[in-house]
Amino acid sequence: MKVRTVKLKETHNSNGVSSFCSILWDLKAQHLVTASASDSSISIHDLSQPSKPPKILRHHKDGVTALALSPNSTCLASGSIDHSVKLYRFPGGEFQTNITRFTLPIRALAFNKSGSMLAAAGDDEGIKLINTIDGSIARVLKGHKGPVTGLAFDPISEYLASVDSMGTVIFWELSSGKILHTLKGVAPDLDSETSVLNMLSWSPDGDILAVPGLKNDVVMYDRDTAEKLFTLRGDHGQSICFLTWSPNGKYIATSGLDRQVLIWDVDRREDIDRQKFDDKVCCMAWKPNNNALAVIDDMGKYGMLEPAVPLSMKSPTDGAPNLHAKNSNGLLLFDEDEQELSVSGSLSDASEGSLGESEPVSRKRLKKQSILEDEDIDNGDQVASPPKIESRKRAHSHKECLEDNIKGFSGISSARPKMQEAFQPGSTAVQVGKRRFLCYNMLGSITTTENEGYSHIEVDFHDTGRGPRVPSMTDYFGFTMASLNESGSVFANPCKGEKNMSTLMYRPFGSWANNSEWSMRFEAEEVKAVALGTGWVAAITSLNFLRIFTEGGLQKHVLSLNGPVVTASGFKDELAVVTHASDCLPSNDQMLEFRVFNISNGVQPHSGRLPLSPGSCLTWFGFSEEGQLSCYDSKGVLRVYTNQYGGSWIPLFSASKEKKSEENYWVVGLNASKLFCIICKHPDSFPQVMPKPVLTLLDLSFPLASSDLGAMDLENEFILSNLHLSQIQKKIDEMVVAGLDTTSLDDEAFNVEAALDRCILRLIAACCNGDKLVRAVELVKLLSLEKSVKGAIKLVSALKLPILAERFNSILEERLLKETMGAPAISNSTSGAAFKNIEAHALPMTTRNRASEPVNPLPQSKLSSPPITKQEKLQEGIKIGQKIESNKTSLPPPKLPSPASNQEKSEEKSRVREKPEPSKTVAVGNKTEGIDQLPFNRPTNPFAKTSSNQEKGSLLDSIKKMKKVESGGKK
Amino acid sequence: MAGQSDPHLSVFSAAEVEFLAEDEMVEIVPNMKMGPLNFICGDFGPFRPQIATEVPLWLAVALKKRGKCTIRPPQWLSVEKLTQVLEAERDSPREFQPLPFHYVEISRLLFDHARDDIPDVYMVRSLIEDIRYVRFSKVESGLETISGRTHAVKLKNLSAMEVNIVRPFVVRTLQAFYKHDSPQMIQHPDTAANRPPQVADRGPRRDLRRR
Repeated sequence: MKVRTVKLKETHNSNGVSSFCSILWDLKAQHLVTASASDSSISIHDLSQPSKPPKILRHHKDGVTALALSPNSTCLASGSIDHSVKLYRFPGGEFQTNITRFTLPIRALAFNKSGSMLAAAGDDEGIKLINTIDGSIARVLKGHKGPVTGLAFDPISEYLASVDSMGTVIFWELSSGKILHTLKGVAPDLDSETSVLNMLSWSPDGDILAVPGLKNDVVMYDRDTAEKLFTLRGDHGQSICFLTWSPNGKYIATSGLDRQVLIWDVDRREDIDRQKFDDKVCCMAWKPNNNALAVIDDMGKYGMLEPAVPLSMKSPTDGAPNLHAKNSNGLLLFDEDEQELSVSGSLSDASEGSLGESEPVSRKRLKKQSILEDEDIDNGDQVASPPKIESRKRAHSHKECLEDNIKGFSGISSARPKMQEAFQPGSTAVQVGKRRFLCYNMLGSITTTENEGYSHIEVDFHDTGRGPRVPSMTDYFGFTMASLNESGSVFANPCKGEKNMSTLMYRPFGSWANNSEWSMRFEAEEVKAVALGTGWVAAITSLNFLRIFTEGGLQKHVLSLNGPVVTASGFKDELAVVTHASDCLPSNDQMLEFRVFNISNGVQPHSGRLPLSPGSCLTWFGFSEEGQLSCYDSKGVLRVYTNQYGGSWIPLFSASKEKKSEENYWVVGLNASKLFCIICKHPDSFPQVMPKPVLTLLDLSFPLASSDLGAMDLENEFILSNLHLSQIQKKIDEMVVAGLDTTSLDDEAFNVEAALDRCILRLIAACCNGDKLVRAVELVKLLSLEKSVKGAIKLVSALKLPILAERFNSILEERLLKETMGAPAISNSTSGAAFKNIEAHALPMTTRNRASEPVNPLPQSKLSSPPITKQEKLQEGIKIGQKIESNKTSLPPPKLPSPASNQEKSEEKSRVREKPEPSKTVAVGNKTEGIDQLPFNRPTNPFAKTSSNQEKGSLLDSIKKMKKVESGGKK
Repeated sequence: MAGQSDPHLSVFSAAEVEFLAEDEMVEIVPNMKMGPLNFICGDFGPFRPQIATEVPLWLAVALKKRGKCTIRPPQWLSVEKLTQVLEAERDSPREFQPLPFHYVEISRLLFDHARDDIPDVYMVRSLIEDIRYVRFSKVESGLETISGRTHAVKLKNLSAMEVNIVRPFVVRTLQAFYKHDSPQMIQHPDTAANRPPQVADRGPRRDLRRR
């Protein structure tokens, strides 16, 4: 074996007297806790900041002899020679309470697996089992003749093993407090030794108890029968004083009075490594997540054995049972802590937390808490009275135990991910004695509160002036699901036994007929989600049926869905349903899919997978005010469904990008540019009914990468406007197909385009300042209005960038050329492509929109340019920039000030210039006159195509025609 | 603008001060839907149910009277904040705590019209009273130091209503002191009598003239 030295650091000054010291890791291996029997302080070493001095806890009056950390690492217990056992918060180290006192020094402490119970023992007679919740003593186990020096709960919390300094080992049954087995004199008698204590340890799977033997060996005892199984004997020259199992139970580290530490392979029953120290090592701890062993000697010096197990062998953490998982049942004592933990964790392990009950995250916290309570009570029961666990010996197979355990701590143990349960968007969790939301949307809310067996339901509208007044309702069914729109509300309850069947009830707010509310009962079927829209009500049941009713209660359709429903939402004619596509992935990713049904047309326009952030679950699902399908997940990402790329979800908001981390956003709705949500201060993830929650508007923003441009807001606005534009465009197309008037939408589109252009211009400015010229040119190509292009030219000339001005000019020319050459052609060729190429569809749009504006004069003047040489163009470009600067309001054709060398040319040009002008004024003034004028203008344009426009005499007709052509192309 | 109550002392009446305070902005949560309102003083809205928006106090009160909104009391109008202010006010006998310039008027208006929107309204009200009382007693004790040698009185963070109450007294006191202390009046009563009364005369100039 190779020789290596382990550097030890002094942490507790023992004044040269050897005394027992303890060392512990926390769960995440971020902290080491050390204590010494000759020192009244406890040190918490933060390993992430090695330079920082350790946190010192000085609450004991005398040396600290025992340390224990609750399995979830939120609570530290210490026992001392001063007879007290104290609890601290961890890792903060705030003193919590004196949980118990003895009459003599404490020697050993141990937490059970759930952290609900602490065993403490020492020189006193009897081992105290203390309920950590309230500090009550659940039981005192008497039987040892000498000071108890070692305690160990078995990982299944069925037994407690203890050893005293005389070497007697006792197995206790926790449920009854009886002694199962007493093994006298099996461990070395260390009564004379003060610096080391006898101890014992269960293997992580709980099958084997390891106890130091009399022959400098380790003896393994069977869990149930306490029979000697085998021994580990090796290089130790004196008796073993400490032993600890590696996290996976494959190795044991032992330290002996011979100042050696040995690592054993348990399966091969031989020692594989050893390390000599200057002093006796009296305590060791395996690093929970790494191949390392922390040791502390009886002089108060600690160090790290790394790697503890030779690298050629399997890591000691490999295959560690996940039993002592992160969220093992915490101490209720620290329930605030727990909550904080669970909520802050809710982002990272949201679905993990929700596995048990698979509620939306909003409900999770409360449920969790209540489960904690239940579980703790259960545990208390298990200990106090012997309800179920008879001494089930070997027959009680190990696997079963585990399963029991998992079941017991459902919702907390992270053993396996679960599919999320059905929920109604906008509902909050049940709170005892408090009103809660069954439904909260942009329109109003439905609240319920339970009172003496039945509930009161109230429907309120946010707009108290306009919404109908709905009398409150006494609910004998116990409705848990509801949905609300302008015309009515729908309620449903789950089935509770045979008598209380699942019921669906619809209440219209106003009807010409009396008694127009109706209800449906479901036998052997349970409503899981409800939704309603204009003239229809939908309920999705446990049999995966989608049942659609009319407003009057007619059963219209029953469809089968692909999987168990998650949620549903309605908007006008459209119903969107989310179902599970399959069991969730081991990585906790929910596999969801959505379907949109158009109820009135009986079609299914969209369907597909519903994307979620990794490891999150769906918490809100609905439509925006414009009718865009949207979803929000527990990691705070909002996604909106668009038709881009044949239908895809785009992330439009991310809670983590918002600055304030202590706030949770509870989504209510959204519109094209804002997200409406209720802000909940950190521990809460959903709002209360009272005081009335106030909506907050948050800007939608893409999760953009931090660009070198540093103009995030602009880029964001750019994408958003583009998106908006594409949506309007789509609507226009639909309306054109339906033969409806689109003028208002056209105006809207124009406004958006103008805003987009403004945004692009600012982006161009940012690009120019950031010296990103290529990007600036790309942006110019995206400008939709000609005026904006000129503005851009003006901008770059003002910024003294002639190269750009030249390029912009050529872009402008190209565009004008295109516009005159083939406006119809463009609309035909590009109309199929969606919003990607705004420029393309913007061009025909502008012509369409501003029919009265002169489209002709500019192109005409432009078209005479080709003969001019390039140099001229350059000059000209600069000139234009200057010209525009000086003359802002009018839009002179860029050609005008060109210093033509050729006289003829200038003459021609002046002719060209003069001609359009009258048409311009006339066209603006009066449309019909403009039309009359039109044929007159045409001949001056040498490149003018005799397009369909001209064949028809009227401009109006031609525009209509263009529209038709375009819409035809888009289809 | 000068107060009608006493034109010589340029004082506002309490109602006038309150009127001025009504231009302060407060946050309201409307319970109706309404387009933006365009006024000379600016555009407010649009109003959407359950979404907070800022409007002047007069508009808030008008809407509140019609049951169209709830007023969100400003941050400083909470038991917690006011307790802090009151304590600080008591701890420092020479200084005034920064409070909104119109705090007396705003709180008064809200107590009158939106008492149901203020949590712990009785507590808040008594705190405001206490603060007013403490501050005013400080003003009074501060004014006792005015003497013939005082050229100006500096009172930082004094609110509108407090200034308004104190102003006539201070102005008159300074005038009176001036009149009695003026050496010119003693030495050359005749010239002084010929000159119009100098209200705005300052101390330093007096020294120059004496030479």
